[in-house]
Amino acid sequence: MCEGGQALAEDTLPGEVIVAPVSDADDVLRVEHIAKSFGPVTALRDVSLHLKKGEVLGLLGDNGAGKSTLIKTICGFQKQDSGAMWLKGEPYEPRSVDHARSLGVDVVYQDLALIDELSVYQNMFLCREERVARLPFLDRRSMKKEARAALDEIGIHLPRLDVPVARLSGGQRQSIAVARGVYSDADILLLDEPLAAMGAKEGAMILELIARLKKEGKLSMIMILHNYVHVLESCDRVNMIVDGVITFDKPAAETSLEELTEIVVDEYRRARAAANAEEVAEAAEAAVLDPE
Amino acid sequence: MSGSDDESPVAASAGGPAHERRAPRTAVAPLTLIRQVLTTREGSIVVITVALTVYFSLSLSVFFTTSNFENLLPYFAPYAMLAAGEVFLMINGEIDLSIGGCYLFAPLMFYEFHGGGIPLIPCVILALIVCMGIGVFNGFVTAVLGVNSFITTLGTLFTLEGLTLIVSHAEQLEMPGAQVTTNSTGNHITSFASAFGAGTYSELFWALGIVLVMQVALTRTRWGLHTIAVGSNRIAAAEAGVKVRAVLIRNFVVCSTLAGFVGILEAVRSNSITPDPGAANSVLLDAIAAAVIGGTLLAGGSGTVVGAMIGALFLGVLQDGLAIKGVNADYLDFYLGVAILVAMLINRYVGRVRRRSGLG
Ligand SMILES: Nc1ncnc2c1ncn2[C@@H]1O[C@H](COP(=O)(O)OP(=O)(O)OP(=O)(O)O)[C@@H](O)[C@H]1O
Ligand SMILES: [Mg+2]
Repeated sequence: MCEGGQALAEDTLPGEVIVAPVSDADDVLRVEHIAKSFGPVTALRDVSLHLKKGEVLGLLGDNGAGKSTLIKTICGFQKQDSGAMWLKGEPYEPRSVDHARSLGVDVVYQDLALIDELSVYQNMFLCREERVARLPFLDRRSMKKEARAALDEIGIHLPRLDVPVARLSGGQRQSIAVARGVYSDADILLLDEPLAAMGAKEGAMILELIARLKKEGKLSMIMILHNYVHVLESCDRVNMIVDGVITFDKPAAETSLEELTEIVVDEYRRARAAANAEEVAEAAEAAVLDPE
Repeated sequence: MSGSDDESPVAASAGGPAHERRAPRTAVAPLTLIRQVLTTREGSIVVITVALTVYFSLSLSVFFTTSNFENLLPYFAPYAMLAAGEVFLMINGEIDLSIGGCYLFAPLMFYEFHGGGIPLIPCVILALIVCMGIGVFNGFVTAVLGVNSFITTLGTLFTLEGLTLIVSHAEQLEMPGAQVTTNSTGNHITSFASAFGAGTYSELFWALGIVLVMQVALTRTRWGLHTIAVGSNRIAAAEAGVKVRAVLIRNFVVCSTLAGFVGILEAVRSNSITPDPGAANSVLLDAIAAAVIGGTLLAGGSGTVVGAMIGALFLGVLQDGLAIKGVNADYLDFYLGVAILVAMLINRYVGRVRRRSGLG
């Protein structure tokens, strides 16, 4: 495919539309022409997006489209190969997850990033530990109390917070990861499939929490979801990422379940057609090389 | 979590309505207590060590005496200190074999610095700084260049042992500051020597202090928490923002430094620097054995410094007891090996009971 994000104009796939960034003065986050490869695999070709203050941006895309890679780049876990980011108008070059966090960007990972051997409250405060006065000792009581308060507010009831998280159910683990992100003083929160392991009730609880946060207006969010109903319900705007580029950008109010489904089905048909064409071409090539 | 973590009673997590469990309290309480002790991470090795001590005390009249306790100390204190550092690396899922090298090399560095006209205490500090450098090297090669720590530290171990032989010309040297003077009132040692290993209880105090500090660091500080996180799930730890490389390098530095310090204490205690790689290798293996017997997993993610100290005590009691019993020296290693295997199997069984009973 392509190297870097520059030559993209000639390098689009047949029938592909790349959505240009439409950015405003009040964007809290701008991402421009981000590209990222892992060896031979190009995860992001040329991604540009923007996020307004208080906005919830839904990010859709197939498996392997590059959604998590984009999230991990914005949160400072890995560095892009090319492209730039801006945070509240300033150039944004996170050196580490900790650095991004100190600038107000926090994340809930798809893999949750929980430590099995550590307890619920230790996980919730990992890397944001509270200490007794200025001493190096951890203030366990205060952390436990705050963790309890945060989980109560979401509506997650765990009998004990000092048990290792390995002992919890998938949904409970996920709510701990979400609680850790939400109660971290961040003003930009990235959520990578926060409902993946949730039952209907817990999922509703998390969506309600997100609606509440949205109403407060302090937090801006990018949320990856697979359920279009959830997307239309809880996001202000929808972006779709296909093969490492953003191909769709519309306010949630202006799109519909039908349109989103249509796009995905189209996408699928086009990919099938391309694959078939490739096969045919390969077969033809083979036939030319080996006339027998 | 670690066994010393508070509020982890078995009963609390055993499930069932409270009143049901309260009814047969008098009958259950002692049993619960025993289970509670046995199922902490250090519990089983404590019980095994106590049982062994009782056995030797009953069968040997000289065993349970102050003078024998003093004899036993050198079999115990150095290993407790070495294991304290090793536990941190083992929790990281790494291992440091070069502690044998630092143990051997540090007293020689001390000797050389002293030969250059530097006073005793600064010599200790300089020798320890050399050890820190060795730790930084081990940590860098392992954490940054990604070489397996077993290989890295095996290389450092042989390199340091070789260097010790080269620098000392494989000759035994007298340890500066540790000389014993004899006059009409008896034998005298310098205050430096009595503080750094030669005093009867010097090594014991150092060991208790170091174990205490390291255990508190492990269970009550960010450093300990991040050490467990790195050992349990390196990717998740990095995603959460833990500085994985820094944690690893720091633990290698602490481990090497402690090893160098123990080397100096032992050289002062014996008033000699003996460049014997064979002895250093067996010290190294005993320290790792103490950590493993004490309940620290080689696979990483969990461990205990106090447990390692008790593991060291177990090894000390066993060696001392067998020696007093007059067991033929040829049999000593054999019994030691069997005892380690038995202790490990019991540990393993108790660990399974602990997990089933719902404790960490
Ligand atoms: N650390 C990595 N090393 C190598 N390849 C990677 C790495 N991370 C991601 N990739 C590759 O990059 C591509 C995009 O992956 P990414 O995880 O971003 O997809 P995704 O959109 O989040 O998919 P999903 O919906 O399955 O979570 C995939 O082809 C994946 O194999
Ligand atoms: Mg993903």
